[in-house]
Amino acid sequence: MAQVGIDGDSLVVEIEGLDKLWALKSRLVIPLAHVRGATADPGIAREPKGIKAPGTHFPDVITAGTFHRDGERVFWDVHDASRIVVIELADEKYARLVVQVADPQATVALIESAVPSR
Amino acid sequence: MGRPRNFDEAEVVRRAADLFAARAYDGISVDDLVTGLGVHRHSLYRTFGSKRGLYLAALGWSSEHRIAVLAERMAEAGDPYELLGGPLRDEALGPGLDLLLLALVERAPQDREVARIVAESFALLDGVVGRALGAGGGPGVESGREGRVATGVAAALLGLRALDRAAEPAVDAPAAGSALLRGLDRR
Repeated sequence: MAQVGIDGDSLVVEIEGLDKLWALKSRLVIPLAHVRGATADPGIAREPKGIKAPGTHFPDVITAGTFHRDGERVFWDVHDASRIVVIELADEKYARLVVQVADPQATVALIESAVPSR
Repeated sequence: MGRPRNFDEAEVVRRAADLFAARAYDGISVDDLVTGLGVHRHSLYRTFGSKRGLYLAALGWSSEHRIAVLAERMAEAGDPYELLGGPLRDEALGPGLDLLLLALVERAPQDREVARIVAESFALLDGVVGRALGAGGGPGVESGREGRVATGVAAALLGLRALDRAAEPAVDAPAAGSALLRGLDRR
């Protein structure tokens, strides 16, 4: 699971507990100007993930780490699909982050209120 | 940036406006959008950034293409008492009013960008009603009694559309709109 917060002009995604190990990542800091939006989207868990590199993927148990699909790099940290938030990025290493959070609606509202409208 | 887009963005936005006009924002999942629009999930994210991004595009398109056309037709209506009846009978433009109504109730209270687009759309209707009722001036909420009456009548259009959407409408909404304008005229 991940903790998503805003720190100044940045979106901070903290990977919690053992997921740090599975995802090989403990923290992502993204300038808010590079965040395009956030969406609660449980259904994305059923999509093909692409090629894992590096990371961990036990289907239906855990998807964590970096996955490559359609020429894009996507970061996953998900055990429970019902609490997925998809965060779309621009001009970053990752095209999007697919993370499990405690409260998807609250996380989406937090990100949408922090990201400037365009 | 990954693959180039392989769908018609304008067509997807138009169809999204129909989907969002038919159901509540929170009642439409990304799965529903992927199925209803026939676009891959990752393409949707790549193009619109989020479900909200697609919603804002759909709402903006509807304001520009449906509400603006509706306002033009209202302005051209020959019979002033049919000012509200015409839009209520226009099946092609009805979804524009539905989306405006849902956006006003659901999203505008919590989303400033939605509130801005809704206000622009409403200003178009308000302006047409104002001119038809003799309040003069351009689009927008005008001050003074006539302006407030125009705002009230334009808001009544949305309320009548809501009543008209019922499976078996209990009222004849176009007739009620016409009666409202005749009633105002007698004052």
